[in-house]
Amino acid sequence: MSRQSSRGTALTIASLIAALALALGLSACGGGGGIGGGGDKEAETVKLEGKPSGSLTISNWPLYIDSGTVPAFEKASGVSVKYIEDVNDNNSFFGKMQPLLSQGQSGGRSVFVVTDWMAAKMRELGYLQNLDKSAIPNVEANLAKSLRHPSFDPNRDFSVPWQTGLGGLIVRKDLAPNIHSVCDLFDPQYKGKVDFLNEVIETVPLVMACEGVEPDSASEADWTKAIDKIGKAVEEGQIRRFTGNDYARDLTSGDAVAVIGWSGDAVQLQADNPNIEFRMPTEGCSLWSDNMVIPVGAPNPTAGEAWMNYVYDPEVQANIAEYVNYVTPVEGVKEVLAEREPALAKNQLIFPSEAFTKNCFTQPKLSAEELQKVTQAYDAVING
Amino acid sequence: MTLRRRIVPYLLLGPGTIWLLLFFVVPLFYMAELSLRSGTFGNYEFTWHWANYSEALDLYDTQLVRSFLYAGVATLIALLIAYPLAYTIAFKAGRWRNALLFAVVAPFFTTYLIRTIAWETILSDDSPVTKVLHAIGLAPSGHVLATGGAVIAGLTYNFLPFMILPIYASLERIDVRLIEAARDLYSSAAQAFWRVTLPLSAPGVIAGTLLTFIPAAGDYVNAQFLGGAGNQMIGNVIQALYLSQSNYPSAAALSFVLMALIMVAVVIYIRFAGSEALMGEESR
Repeated sequence: MSRQSSRGTALTIASLIAALALALGLSACGGGGGIGGGGDKEAETVKLEGKPSGSLTISNWPLYIDSGTVPAFEKASGVSVKYIEDVNDNNSFFGKMQPLLSQGQSGGRSVFVVTDWMAAKMRELGYLQNLDKSAIPNVEANLAKSLRHPSFDPNRDFSVPWQTGLGGLIVRKDLAPNIHSVCDLFDPQYKGKVDFLNEVIETVPLVMACEGVEPDSASEADWTKAIDKIGKAVEEGQIRRFTGNDYARDLTSGDAVAVIGWSGDAVQLQADNPNIEFRMPTEGCSLWSDNMVIPVGAPNPTAGEAWMNYVYDPEVQANIAEYVNYVTPVEGVKEVLAEREPALAKNQLIFPSEAFTKNCFTQPKLSAEELQKVTQAYDAVING
Repeated sequence: MTLRRRIVPYLLLGPGTIWLLLFFVVPLFYMAELSLRSGTFGNYEFTWHWANYSEALDLYDTQLVRSFLYAGVATLIALLIAYPLAYTIAFKAGRWRNALLFAVVAPFFTTYLIRTIAWETILSDDSPVTKVLHAIGLAPSGHVLATGGAVIAGLTYNFLPFMILPIYASLERIDVRLIEAARDLYSSAAQAFWRVTLPLSAPGVIAGTLLTFIPAAGDYVNAQFLGGAGNQMIGNVIQALYLSQSNYPSAAALSFVLMALIMVAVVIYIRFAGSEALMGEESR
């Protein structure tokens, strides 16, 4: 073999190996097959057909329901339910569903659960159907007053809250007793010991609020200023990392002494470690809901609405609330739990009083374009 | 008869070719097409928008450089760990050889993700490892987790078997009589190693470094779990572009930039380090 051709062989082998590795790498990145919005902007209303029957597929977040409710619903309605916990965060669920939804398909799902801003985004893209309210009288009757007219869906035409909660501070009171405001997270004495959330819409409004800016009326400059503040903290090593629910690990080990986090997690973490507690920021908290929605192309919406109606029965909802420890959107649950488990009924994080949440604000409503802009700026900070 | 003979190789190549076409070439084509689109989410249109490429290079040069640096350092450390280990298994392990090989492969019985998350505990601020590193001055800030060092450590650990196995395979094939001959001709043990063993094992070293470096440069899991703010890699940027921003054209363009840069790096590497080593015995 000549020197030249053996070099050629070497190159061939190397490029084959490279191609293989790249193929593996690329496949991990996932892909957006079909790109594009879904048809009409004018949403259709679901078409109901008589009594609920057949099968029903529901996508929800992990650990977001007790074990008894689904079988009880199956028994009561005669519908067989496939309940899958495949929503891990709004963005990756969107990434997974978008190619289907843009083709008017839902991958067999009749109902799935996403957070306010994601529901708004999907709605804007024409991915969600309107609900037929005649089939959900329990929702009409029992939905908490404060949740009836959110800015992204003023008449609750296409979304029904699954659970709601508060976004604020979770602290290790033994390690960071003096953190009371989101702005305290920027205090140099906690350098490298605080985590922020990787969802822009959760984090940035809280930072704006502690700076005295009202999130709902914030200008683009306000967003930029808050994101820059976070960016500067990253450069100085103040912020340890950006997380989802996995801040739980850092708090438990003490690697983080304070994080921006969600009330329901705090309740569960505190049960294991009494030193962990939710703290209402002095400037207020963010209020969010995860919402049940019916996507375009959803099979069997009749059963889907029957499910929504079923979980809005206070007796049923009490079982869910007892398990998940978030804020229930259903009225009458507190009374049910007051008898069954008085401690829960008194917990401000599960049944917050108006006084407790008086400074809190709902997540600001952004257009798709604005959301894209702030997400890009925030991701640049996260991955900086 | 001759016709059949001519067709058979093509038939044998068939399944592999179809597989590659369907799952590599076709998606690659779509990616390329996607990378040249412009517009906003919902209406990305194909417009030969080459600016996606220049923007990708412009905006994310920091992360590109960082990824190559992390992957390079991890590859080097993996090589330094893997070579002596592979050498020991190939020549000194005796009846322990299979057990040791099994130990090298054993971590694969647990998924990649779990192994990486386990490192969060190992490198946690209060862990003995971190305390020791801090005491000897290797972790001045008092924490290892959520630093670039932790990302490099994770990459090294996760890809180490890809370095060990090819090196072992090439060492194991070496005819020990060649080394004995070198000693008989009055070379010292060190000389025999440098002039006989090392060159003969070079193909394994080349393959190992490539199999480590290429996936490490595009990895995002280690940076996500072990890294913190300020040390994310290019894979994390691509992931964020795809999933959180739904900016598919930029993500696709950046993937191609990464691919091209890796390709260039590999070609340069092969030309300088590889040509000698990969020539094989037959050309000598």
